[in-house]
Amino acid sequence: MLAAGEGRRSGHHTNKVLLPLAGRQVFTWSIRWARLLPGVVHTTLVIREEDRAAVLATLDREVGPPQIDLVLGGDTRHASEWSALRSLQPMIEAGEVDVVVIHDAARPLATSKLFAEVIATAAEHGGAIPVREHRGLTGVGDTQVPEDSVVTVQTPQAFAAGPLLDAYRRAGRDGFVGTDTASCIERYTELAVACVPGDARNIKITFPDDLFLAERLLARADYDLSDGLEQTQHHHLRDLWPHRGPRNPR
Amino acid sequence: MSTEYADLSCETCGTVTDHELRYAGRLLEWTRCTVCGTQVEVTPRAMLPAYARDLEQRVTSKPGRMLRRWSRDPVGYLVRLPWAVARQPVKLAREVWGVLRR
Repeated sequence: MLAAGEGRRSGHHTNKVLLPLAGRQVFTWSIRWARLLPGVVHTTLVIREEDRAAVLATLDREVGPPQIDLVLGGDTRHASEWSALRSLQPMIEAGEVDVVVIHDAARPLATSKLFAEVIATAAEHGGAIPVREHRGLTGVGDTQVPEDSVVTVQTPQAFAAGPLLDAYRRAGRDGFVGTDTASCIERYTELAVACVPGDARNIKITFPDDLFLAERLLARADYDLSDGLEQTQHHHLRDLWPHRGPRNPR
Repeated sequence: MSTEYADLSCETCGTVTDHELRYAGRLLEWTRCTVCGTQVEVTPRAMLPAYARDLEQRVTSKPGRMLRRWSRDPVGYLVRLPWAVARQPVKLAREVWGVLRR
């Protein structure tokens, strides 16, 4: 999970993934949904050194065992991904990890179902990315809109572990810096990267408005994006005592 | 009420800038770009029901959260509990007053 940001920050300002969001910090929401899946055996969090103390305190407060490994990120997304892969290298080479899922910690609303879908698809095809189709685009000036459908790509993205590690090793030798994980995979491997349907709720916290939206989306989902994997919690006061359900069901 | 500062993209500046964020309880009340002053806020009319809904979730999830904290560090939790209980009414009253007076 990438939580290192873009390397621009300085001074006392908080990394946006450490901001409060509906009772937790932004980055622990998706850790929670991903780790509900029985196949998820290990979590590595890529951070910046200046965030280490805050991240450790948050993990202690909001995330239970098993332990999460912390590694330091680089100046680019590609460098941060490579740091994470290097920390996973012994497990990958020992055959203990089949699929690596890479997720942007600034996307707190990725559901357990989406994680499960990309993992299953990557296990079958080699790679999987969630996408959302972009319709109604218009070219500006000389820019032509592609005739094929245009999609926006989300995370989590999942890939077969061995080829992914190999691709990043070769990229390191060539000095190639990809824009995302899939770009490196496509350049250095023959793996098919399959698209799975993304989720409209899976927004990335970029603008201030995204924080307001994420709060409302979480409230609308009763703070539960586990798709039934998590034990049902009480979300309403009426759940604390027996009741017969809504009086006027629609 | 609490305040955070974070780097977020500003629609007006067109770049990543420092933002001030003000929270009412767990809910974000408003944000302000410290460069251009662009402010995004929840209207008081929308804030009140959102706060009530959030407060309800906080109340219903409290027993579970207390149990998790106790199981992680029973002694430390029991030591801190009286102070935490004592300051809750004031904390809650400040939050509610902050939401109502907008």
